[in-house]
Amino acid sequence: MNKLTPYKLLICLILCLLLWLVNLSLGSVSIPVEHLLQRLLGIPFPRSSWEIIVMEYRLPKSLTAILAGIALTISGLQMQTFFRNPLAGPYVLGISSGAGLGVALLSMAGTAFGWQFMQASGSYWSAIAAASLGSIGVLVLMGLAAWKVRDSMTLLIVGLMFGSAASSLITLLAYFSAAEELKLFTIWSMGNLGSTGWEKLGLLSGAVLLGILPVLTSVKAYNAMLLGENYAVSMGINFQRLRWSMILSTGILTGSITAFCGPIAFIGIAVPHLARLLFKTNNHTQLFPAAALLGVLVLLVCDSISQLPGMATSLPINAVTTAFGAPLIIWLIMRRNFSEEF
Amino acid sequence: MDSENKWHKQETPAIHAAGLDLGYRSAQGLNLLASGISFDLQQGELTCLMGPNGVGKSTLLKAIMDQHPPIKGAVFLGKENVREISDKERAKKVAVVLTEKIPSGAMTVLELVALGRVPHTGWWGRLSPQDQSVVNKVMDMTNIKDLAGKKLAALSDGQRQTALIARALAQDSPILILDEPTAHLDLTNRFEIMYLLRDLAKRAAKAILVVTHDLEVAMETADKLWIMEARKPLLTGSPEDLMIQGGIQNMLPGNKWQIDAASGKIRLKDPARLPVIDGPAHLSHWIRNAFRKNPELSQPERIVVSDQPFRILLVFADRKEEVNSIAEMIGFLRQRAKKNNSKTTR
Repeated sequence: MNKLTPYKLLICLILCLLLWLVNLSLGSVSIPVEHLLQRLLGIPFPRSSWEIIVMEYRLPKSLTAILAGIALTISGLQMQTFFRNPLAGPYVLGISSGAGLGVALLSMAGTAFGWQFMQASGSYWSAIAAASLGSIGVLVLMGLAAWKVRDSMTLLIVGLMFGSAASSLITLLAYFSAAEELKLFTIWSMGNLGSTGWEKLGLLSGAVLLGILPVLTSVKAYNAMLLGENYAVSMGINFQRLRWSMILSTGILTGSITAFCGPIAFIGIAVPHLARLLFKTNNHTQLFPAAALLGVLVLLVCDSISQLPGMATSLPINAVTTAFGAPLIIWLIMRRNFSEEF
Repeated sequence: MDSENKWHKQETPAIHAAGLDLGYRSAQGLNLLASGISFDLQQGELTCLMGPNGVGKSTLLKAIMDQHPPIKGAVFLGKENVREISDKERAKKVAVVLTEKIPSGAMTVLELVALGRVPHTGWWGRLSPQDQSVVNKVMDMTNIKDLAGKKLAALSDGQRQTALIARALAQDSPILILDEPTAHLDLTNRFEIMYLLRDLAKRAAKAILVVTHDLEVAMETADKLWIMEARKPLLTGSPEDLMIQGGIQNMLPGNKWQIDAASGKIRLKDPARLPVIDGPAHLSHWIRNAFRKNPELSQPERIVVSDQPFRILLVFADRKEEVNSIAEMIGFLRQRAKKNNSKTTR
C-alpha cells in the first residue's frame, strides 16, 4: 500500500514516452525530435526518406521493443512469485530452448537431412513458424509434466531439463551444419527487434494481449502466493488454476516474443527485481504495471544504445540487454538483505 | 467424556467428525495412520491436539482443511461437509497458522494481516472500508498496531507468530487452526501466545485448535485436550480429567518416562528404589530429581534435608555423612558406589 506508487508509475510512463521519441530519432540517420513531434501533428517530414525510415522501420521496431518489454517482464514476475525463486525468469520452463530448437531444425538441419527451408536471405515467417512450433511443443510437454507432478519445485527442474535437452540437440545440429547456416542460427539467437513489419506486429500484439489476460484474473492469487502455496490454498486460492494460468500466460507471452524476436536475454529476470527495488512493494496490483513500464523503459534504452548514431549497423540486442542485466543481477545478489527483500 | 456430561450445552460443533480413517494410498497399498477418529471442536474453546511425531496430526489437519481427504468418513464444518463446499467458502470458515516460514521478508505486518482478507475481496483484491476496519480491529485485538509498518524480516519470533495469528483472524472465520505456534519460542512468549489464543477463543467466540508438543503450556491454557495415539481412537476431554484419570500417560511411549501428576510435567520414571527423604517438600523434590537422573548412585537408607543452612544428612547402616550441596552428595555417593562395586568384584 505504497502511497507514492501512482506518482512513480506516472513518472515511468512519461519517461517511456520521452524515450520512445528518442528511440525513434536515434539511428544511423538522426531525425530531430521536433520533426517527429511535428509529424505527429500532421506536418510532413522535410525529407521523404525520413518518412520511410520512421514508418516502415523504426516505428514497428520500437513498438516491438515495447511489446517485448511488457511481455518478458510480466512472464518473469509471474515465474519468480510462483516458484518463489529470485532467479526464475521467462525461460525457466524451457520455452526459449524449444523455440531455439525449432529454428535450429529449420536453419541447420538442411545439411544433416538434405532439407532447404531457410535461405540465406531468410524468410522470417518460416522462422516464426518454427519457433512457435518449438515453444508450443515444449509448452505441451510442460503441460503434461504439470498434469503429472503437483510439486512446483519438480516442475521447475523438469523445465530446466527440457531446456538442457533442447540445447544439446541444438549443439548436435550445429556440429553437423554448414558455416553459413550456423551463422544464421547464431544471429537469430542474438535477438532482433527489427524484423517485425506492420503485418507481423498485429499478430504479435494480439498474442501479447492474449497472454496478459490470464494475469489480470490472477493478481490476487499471486499476492496470496507471497505467503507460500499452503497459505494461499488455505485462503481459498485455487492453486491448480493458478498454475495452469501461469503456464499458459508465460507460454504465450515468451513463446510469441521469442518466435518474433529471438530469445531476448535478462530483461525477464532483472526487471522484476528492479520494480521491487524502485517501487518498494510486493503487492502485485502495483508490481505488474510497474514491471511492465520498467520493462518498456529498459528495452527502449537498450534498443537505443544498440542503434546509436555514428554506427552503420546496430548491435545485437542481447549483447546490450546482457551488458545491462548481468551487472544488475550481480549487484542485487551481493546486497546484504537481498533474500529478505525478495 | 464429553458425551457423558449432562451439563454440556448441545450446540452444533464448529467441526464435527465421526469414525475418520486417516492415511495415504500408495503403490504399495494403504498406509493407515489412524482409524476411528471422532471429535467435536466447540465454539469458544481452546483445544490442544497432542501426540507423538508421525501419529497423523498433520494428516488430521489436512483432512479438516480439505487438502488430503480421509480414507473413510467426512469432516463437517458446522453442518457442511468440507468436501462439498468451495475453496472460498472453506477459507471463510477455517483460517490457519502453519509451521512453515513465510518466504517474503519484505512484506510489512500490515500487508501480511491485510492478506487475511483474500477470501472476502473481489478479483483484484482491493480492500473495502469494511475490510480495512476488520484489519484494524484484529491488529488491535492482538496488540500489534505499533508493528504495522515493520518488515517481517525485522520481527522477533514471538512478534512474527502474533502477526501470523492476526492474519488468520483477519480471515474472519469461526475456526482457527494453529500448527505448533509456540515451537522455537521462549517460555514467556509460549505462554503469551497461548493466553492470547485462549483470550480470542473466549472474547471472539472462536473455535481454536492448536497442535502442540508443549504439555505444560497445554495443561495451563487449554479447555480440551485431544490425545492422538498410533492407530487408536482420539482421546478427548478436559486436561484436568485426562491428567487425573491417567489418559495423558498414554502419550508416553515405552516405560522410561512418566508424568508427574501434581505438576503435569514429563519426567524420568522413578527408579525401582528411591531413598526415604525427610525434610521440606521443595527440597526433597530436587534431591529425588538428582536420584532419578543418576540411578547408579549408591543409596543411603535415609536422607534428612534441612533448610537454612542447607544441609543434607546421609544415613547408612554403618555411617553418617553430612554434605552442603547436591553436587557434593552426588560426588560422595558415586565414590561409595565404586568402592562397593570393587568390593563385590573382589
